[in-house]
Amino acid sequence: MQPSLREDYLEAILLYTNRHPAPPSSHDVATTLRIPEPAVRAHLAELAAAGDLVVSGTGAVVLSETGRETGQRVIKKHETLQCFLTEILGMDSSSASNEACRIEHAVSDETIDRLGNYLRAPPVMGEKQGDYTKTAVYHSSCIKNDPEGISLTLADCEEGDRVVVREISGRSCAKRLLDLGVVPGQQVSIKRKLSNRSLVVQVKACDVALSPEIASAIFVERGA
Amino acid sequence: MKIALLGNPGVGKSLIFNQLTGLGVEVNKYPGSTVTLESGNVCYKKDKIELIDLPGVYSLDGNSEEEVLVRRFLEKNGADIIIAVLDATKLERNLYLLAQVAEYSQPMIALVNRIDDAEAEGLLIDTGRLAEIIGIDVLFTAASLGKNIDRILPLALSSAREPALFIPYDHHVEAATRTLEKTMGTPRYKNLLALQDEGDELALRDAASSIAREIEQRHRMSVSQIIATNRHNFARTVAAEVVKKSPEKRQFDLDRILTRAFPGIPLLCLILFSLLLTVFVIGSWMEAIIVQTFTTYIINPFMTLALPPLLQRLGFSVLVALEAGLGIAFPFVFTFYVGLSILEDTGYMTRAAFLADRAMHRIGLHGEALIPMVIGFGCTVPAVLSLRLLKTRREKTIAAFLITMVPCSARTVVIAGIVAAFVGIFWAFSIYLIVFILIIITAVVLSRMTPGDQFGMIVEMSPLKMPRTRFVLQKSWLRIKEFLFIAMPLLIATSIVLGLFQYFGIIDVFQQVFAPITVSLLGLPEYASTALLFGIFRKELAFETLAVLAGTADLGSVMTSVQLYTFALVSVLFIPCISTIAVLYRQMGAKITILASLYTVVLGMMIGVLINILMK
Repeated sequence: MQPSLREDYLEAILLYTNRHPAPPSSHDVATTLRIPEPAVRAHLAELAAAGDLVVSGTGAVVLSETGRETGQRVIKKHETLQCFLTEILGMDSSSASNEACRIEHAVSDETIDRLGNYLRAPPVMGEKQGDYTKTAVYHSSCIKNDPEGISLTLADCEEGDRVVVREISGRSCAKRLLDLGVVPGQQVSIKRKLSNRSLVVQVKACDVALSPEIASAIFVERGA
Repeated sequence: MKIALLGNPGVGKSLIFNQLTGLGVEVNKYPGSTVTLESGNVCYKKDKIELIDLPGVYSLDGNSEEEVLVRRFLEKNGADIIIAVLDATKLERNLYLLAQVAEYSQPMIALVNRIDDAEAEGLLIDTGRLAEIIGIDVLFTAASLGKNIDRILPLALSSAREPALFIPYDHHVEAATRTLEKTMGTPRYKNLLALQDEGDELALRDAASSIAREIEQRHRMSVSQIIATNRHNFARTVAAEVVKKSPEKRQFDLDRILTRAFPGIPLLCLILFSLLLTVFVIGSWMEAIIVQTFTTYIINPFMTLALPPLLQRLGFSVLVALEAGLGIAFPFVFTFYVGLSILEDTGYMTRAAFLADRAMHRIGLHGEALIPMVIGFGCTVPAVLSLRLLKTRREKTIAAFLITMVPCSARTVVIAGIVAAFVGIFWAFSIYLIVFILIIITAVVLSRMTPGDQFGMIVEMSPLKMPRTRFVLQKSWLRIKEFLFIAMPLLIATSIVLGLFQYFGIIDVFQQVFAPITVSLLGLPEYASTALLFGIFRKELAFETLAVLAGTADLGSVMTSVQLYTFALVSVLFIPCISTIAVLYRQMGAKITILASLYTVVLGMMIGVLINILMK
């Protein structure tokens, strides 16, 4: 069995297990990977023999410790690559995902670690002005498959919205915001929005007026 | 014994301060800064207590002038007792600052002020529990009602102690402060500051920076963010335990009208316009009365004393300076300050800043810059001082240029006294219009030319409330006192110097040198150049000198309408007054001061020449 095929199996099974209450059957695995079921049965038997997983009496596919570890590493590679491709190179998310599916099997752990550090590094205060929004989007945003959630800023919200602050991109201006209570995890409601995207937000029982450029440096997520 | 009041902006600190000290307040400049510290003396049980009103701050960790001042004040043990003033309606946010102050371990008590407003909002605060948690005595106050104000000093003197408050920070931050404590021997609060790259000790900041970078890599957050989040979490836990909220009473929110683009923006224009109109009308009416009374009862009797000529000249100069000072200070500046204080006390100024944000962005500024501009209509000096509200050099530079052009009270006197009186009221307004257009053009050009980056507005909206006459008048009085302190001595000094110049005939030489410009280019009488020169010392002197030199108060009989109009416009635009130049130099440095002065001279001359050519 090719290593890349093994990785695809382990990745798919782990993702399925994470997203569903019960482990997948061989039929579920077949539909996810779009491979005919008989072939899947043969592959699963091969993987079970290699110690990557166990097929229980009821037909449920359960990953072993090593299988889970491999699967997790592949998922991490996929996410890091996809994040790099969309956020830094600006590709659209579906072609980035396809591309990531191919690179993930060949790329080394070291490259992924370094790429992850690059994406994670907080923007250096005062050095990178102008382009801070891009570097401020961290790897974690890739995990959520919420296309809006990646780059939703306070300036995009409407009057009456209640949102939670996720991230303040690192310019020194953030200090005053921090002091006024605009910190990650803080709930904020939008009291007024003018057509130029100036906002009045309510935070910790105080109303705070923000210019559009400040509001668009505050990343938020909906629903709390 | 020194006691200092410390708290967020707008918690009612100054109100408490004024009630404790009365009006006998000294305004002190803090060395090396433009922020003023107010202090006053109180007698309590035959002891003299010096009370200090520290500027309102949101935090002690920032690098704004106010924050640095308060921080250094605490580091140097500037006061024996600290009174932390908290806003009951925003207790959580106020506890954030208290948590920082507590780290300086100084004897203190806390006041929970605005308790009346909190009750109106259905908030119940358990001060007993709060005192238990933070480890110092807590007192309810309602400064606007005078409630419990008399209990503040007794409590501070009898039971101020170091707070027993400990904020657990993220363990990496804690480890870092311990490491710094071991290696550098510095206290915890200094280490926390250094980790955020602030504070005065450069060696400590250096040592902290590499640790801070490591923490930032690990957390993907700046150390400031981590520390702020920890403190806010602490404040939230405390507030949750102490504040009980009864179901919200639904009140009509005036902000539904005030902060909407419509009718908010037309309303803003209307309010600002009526403020200026009121000052213009009331000011010129009151000024006429004051000047007339002063001339009839003081100057004229003085002139009949028949003193030796030099002495008479000197005495006359002093009296004219006093007359002019009173004639402008009370009618124009005081009226304006009353209006400004009403706008501030109602909380409208912050709404105005929000609404103006869009328009101000067009000229390279943001909403907060509206406040110095509006203050500039009263007097340019405090307007320049308030430039510190703006954060970047670029914004300060643009705003500095514009403020020197805003028609202040003294210029209003010139416009009212010359144009409105002899040419017509509509022509007077046309001068305002021309000045505004020039301000906008200047702003647009400057915003393209000035290097540096833009910083947005982050302003806390003050709560809307009815202003109280007493507090408005008190505030206006403090302001006018500041104006008199800065302006009056300078007025008298320059008036004497000019009197001497006139006496020794230096003025005549000056007039002859500048005659070509005044007469041929501007089409004004020769003596107008002297009047313009006097205008540099004080704007409204331009008008008075003109009257003296023309030999009659009825300027309309010696100069044509075009000449009067040109003269007024040139002196309004012409170079800022000497007090402005002085504060501008202190605030912005020599380069900007020289540029702004040169620019206004050139602009004034150009417009004057243009009007002279067009209207001839």
